[in-house]
Amino acid sequence: MNELVHPYHCFIRPTVTHTTFCPGCGDGTVAQSILRAIDGLGMDMDDFVFVSGIGCAAWIPSPFFNADVLHTTHGRPIAFAFGIKMGLPDKKVMVVSGDGDLVAIGGNHLIQNARRNIEMTVICVNNGIYGMTGGQAAPTTPMGVKTTTTPYGTFENFFEDISGLVIAAGASFVARWTTAHPRQLTNSIKKAIQKKGFAFIEVLSQCPVQFGRKMGTGNAVQMLEDYKKRSISIKEAKKLSPEELRDRIVVGEFVDLDKPEMVEEVTRMIRRASGEVQEVVDAGRG
Amino acid sequence: MDTLRIYDELCKGVEECGICIYVCKEEVFRPSETLNQKGYRPPVIVNEDLCTQCENCMIFCPDLAVVVSEKKRKKGSK
Repeated sequence: MNELVHPYHCFIRPTVTHTTFCPGCGDGTVAQSILRAIDGLGMDMDDFVFVSGIGCAAWIPSPFFNADVLHTTHGRPIAFAFGIKMGLPDKKVMVVSGDGDLVAIGGNHLIQNARRNIEMTVICVNNGIYGMTGGQAAPTTPMGVKTTTTPYGTFENFFEDISGLVIAAGASFVARWTTAHPRQLTNSIKKAIQKKGFAFIEVLSQCPVQFGRKMGTGNAVQMLEDYKKRSISIKEAKKLSPEELRDRIVVGEFVDLDKPEMVEEVTRMIRRASGEVQEVVDAGRG
Repeated sequence: MDTLRIYDELCKGVEECGICIYVCKEEVFRPSETLNQKGYRPPVIVNEDLCTQCENCMIFCPDLAVVVSEKKRKKGSK
């Protein structure tokens, strides 16, 4: 009798004996969704280069995945990923990082590379707090919430719609899910990997230790339940007014379109400049 | 072959996490009476017959500690 073996343990670095996440953290669910998507597409870990920044979510690929991984400086994973994609255009580049890294500190890298529409998959795990450093208020922390740095509650307006920012910047695939929707998340990651262009997926993830315990939103199970209750699909959300949508999480795939991709455009320009292809392309574009 | 397997040494405890017990619709799991090496209390399988192989526990588990065997598909279906 064969013993049952986990199908995704083969994707994990043999020296890693356990995940680095706190008990009940949503990052593990996201990690498994990524592995499931890669396995579902029949791809190999060698087809990918993973890039992560600093933060809890950055630990998803960094020691965990048995692949080429770059653990970069705070806020700059997209800049590094841009360089990798220009140097190795055949590789799939995936950035996995948190909200504090991609949106707070590296916000402009996110906007500018979405505008350039360079082919990469960016997964932003949004837990609404600086979890790894001890639960300080982040730009994504909801207003009025008590954190380590704001004992009387946060007094700033918070960054509610990261996906909206990336849509406005011009990405070709944008989706938002929570950790209560791992099946839908896997499907979106599959689409994002296959997309020729900048694909951005925001995942709302529970942080039971820094967010839940201190703010009274409960443990991992209660936070998952809360996500299930508050989330609403984009189709249904269109029927509701902004007042009704307050405090709700709109989930779904917001944008999926084809646009000129930067690496392709650069290759075309090089061929044109070196005289391989001329006039015809020029006339067609002019 | 078994339907379910729990990697006790990977689990981070039903008291701290407990997602597997929450997502299971059929009450297949129960907290264990013993602790694992790290001091967490893993779940144990009590009603394996009730398992519908929906794979919820496997998909949600943040520590890749639960495996469900693939559903035996009927002939002709995908």
